[in-house]
Amino acid sequence: MIDTDTASRAGVNRESPERRFWYPYLLIAPTMVTLVIISLIPFLYTVYLSLHESKYGQVGGFIGLENFLVVLADPRFWNAMGVAIVFVLIAVPIEFMLGLAGALILNAGVRYRGTLVPLMFIPTMMAPIVVGLLWKIMFAGSWGLVSYNLFERFGILSGTSIFGSRNLALYGIILVDIWQWTPFMMLAFFAGLQSLPVNPYRAAAIDGANPVQVFFLITLPMLSPLLVVIVILRLIDAFKIFDSIFILTGGGPGDATESPSIFAYKMVFEYWQIGEASALAVLVWLLFFGFCNLFYQVAKKRLNAF
Amino acid sequence: MRTNDKSRRAGWWRRAAIAAVTLSMAAAGLPSLANAWTYKEAAAPYKGTKIVILDEVTPLQQTFAKLVPEFVAETGIEVDYQLLNHFEVINKGQADLLSGRGAYDGVMLHSAQMGLLLDAGALRPIDDLLADSKLTSPDIDVADFIEPNWSTTAKFKGETYGLPTWNYNVMYWARGDLLSHPDEQAAFKAKYGYDLAPAETMQQMRDIAEFFTRKAGATLAGQTLAGDFYGIGLEGIKGGTTWGTVWNSFLKNWGGDLFDKNGKPNFDTPENRAAIKFWGDLWAFGPPGLAETSLLDVPTLVGTGVVAQSIAWSDFALGVDRPGNSEFAGKFAYRPVPRNADYNGPRSAEAAPSIIAIGKASKNPQAAYLFLQWMSDKQTQAKLADALGGGVPIRNSTWDLPAFKDSDHAKLYEAMQETMKYTSGKPRVPQIYQIFDVMSGLMQEVGLGKITPEQATKQGQEALLKICGDKCVL
Repeated sequence: MIDTDTASRAGVNRESPERRFWYPYLLIAPTMVTLVIISLIPFLYTVYLSLHESKYGQVGGFIGLENFLVVLADPRFWNAMGVAIVFVLIAVPIEFMLGLAGALILNAGVRYRGTLVPLMFIPTMMAPIVVGLLWKIMFAGSWGLVSYNLFERFGILSGTSIFGSRNLALYGIILVDIWQWTPFMMLAFFAGLQSLPVNPYRAAAIDGANPVQVFFLITLPMLSPLLVVIVILRLIDAFKIFDSIFILTGGGPGDATESPSIFAYKMVFEYWQIGEASALAVLVWLLFFGFCNLFYQVAKKRLNAF
Repeated sequence: MRTNDKSRRAGWWRRAAIAAVTLSMAAAGLPSLANAWTYKEAAAPYKGTKIVILDEVTPLQQTFAKLVPEFVAETGIEVDYQLLNHFEVINKGQADLLSGRGAYDGVMLHSAQMGLLLDAGALRPIDDLLADSKLTSPDIDVADFIEPNWSTTAKFKGETYGLPTWNYNVMYWARGDLLSHPDEQAAFKAKYGYDLAPAETMQQMRDIAEFFTRKAGATLAGQTLAGDFYGIGLEGIKGGTTWGTVWNSFLKNWGGDLFDKNGKPNFDTPENRAAIKFWGDLWAFGPPGLAETSLLDVPTLVGTGVVAQSIAWSDFALGVDRPGNSEFAGKFAYRPVPRNADYNGPRSAEAAPSIIAIGKASKNPQAAYLFLQWMSDKQTQAKLADALGGGVPIRNSTWDLPAFKDSDHAKLYEAMQETMKYTSGKPRVPQIYQIFDVMSGLMQEVGLGKITPEQATKQGQEALLKICGDKCVL
């Protein structure tokens, strides 16, 4: 909505109805143009590449869905999808629950909150390469800070290594992701809690509602639009996990931690199979497009989130 | 007698006259011929040209970068000498060469990259430039380049695609203080029946690995161990040079290989199975986490005293074996990559010889060529060796420089020089990085005991056939 005074100052009211119609579009035009240039055009080009033959970066003729069929027939693609799904299904719910719990505690009025909040944001602010190297040192073989002091000294997982073990490497990377992204969830939810109106809580107090009832019947419904948006963003981001895997395991041991992004990176920059890599990217996009739409519809109808 | 004296005198005068003429000719003409070629004159047509060279960043190149202004001052050719990490050099360099963008005039290429780039026709041969007497110094002395590293990297189907820049190779690196400790020597001889010394054979390396693998509380060289100690450190991470080391330092020393003489995949063989089993069995004597150990971590394991020995890249050993960098500096022992005592065929060791090549899209190939020539020039290499106090030579003559012969690392350089006799560039396989990726994953599984060597060779052969069919090598 345009503020009347502002609009008046801008001379909108003096403009013709046709000009007034275009005014909002004019305001969002810079953003839209930027998005088209940096997002839509590369995406459309990726779709174009996925439908064409390519060798050594040179685009050849139209080959229809052949690149898609090659990718879908590759067991590494399905392995990578499995890795990403396990990663997302474990990491994001834990981050969500820990983040929400932390936000509620912060909102309840913790001492030194002003100091704690910026400190808690440090992991999220760290560059992914630094996070990777930090955890590489923490979990290095049997002599890392954590692996030696926690595991070796007390005989837990003695003689093994987190990132060097086919059974543990993925869980190690999930742990790193939880460490890095829980503070983001926490602070986003905390900001949401801070912006909730006070009146419903006053009414609930007068009605004698207990804290559990307040949380489930007032806080959660009012916070749900934010929760849904944050969870969608994290789901998408977590599915695209690349940095920490690249630094910590390179996709190994074997293919135990090879995510779709790692696989696509190798296809492009190591194998130079740009057509197949583009097909993989489009497949992942389609999957997420469908999933996010479904999630949105469910959130809209069941949670009244939007 | 007199006649003899006379004739002798006449002969002396004749010789003196010839000598005088020769000397005067030499004074007048020969020096001018010898000095006819200079970088300054050769570069005159290209003065003011700006070239962009992409190289890998390590302490070697960072030191070399300090010499580049000398080239600029002498030739007037401006040089933007860009240094990027290993992966970025490969990605950005290849992207530029394959796209034909020509942002770089010269790109550092590892031998493994050559198959893809030659198949794509992205490189400019330099034979015409080498044959151009205006551009090429008569003292270039290409016969002095260390072989077969240069030829197996730069030459293909009768054409030359670059001049050598760096010669990385792996070698055997051990804790000399442990191997020479009297208590350890006596115990080792009692157990294995021969003297404890830096390994000359793979079998000795295995025995040493087993011997030194000890639990916390045990004694090592008279000291009680606070933590576990391990017999060997090996690279085992997915990617990196894990597969290259298995391939060239183990498979080939067992008589195995990846391809047959026609370039067809030939991985599922008894030789390869035996070599992979030997390599995989060594993991039992390594610290936990070999599957996450990169080529950077191996020197750390040796330098911090976690393992007794390793097969590691020699340039990293150079960095670790310095006072202040490791408490064991000066106490390390070096040897070439051990041979297989049970195999009499040619020896082999993993290496990564590199060249700088000129892209087909380069707008300044002559100026770039002059820079490459200057980079590999004997004088430049000598200056670089002085500045580094050694290095990784590309010329045979460099080994004789005081920076190598009189160095504190002389033993390391001897091992490096000896190892380079068994090294070469990688075969020209366009899909080589895909093969590296798949194979290093399989090797990890063998090291971790998840699959057997038999399964690894079978799966590897199937993967090779899927990746490049019946003919992998160009």
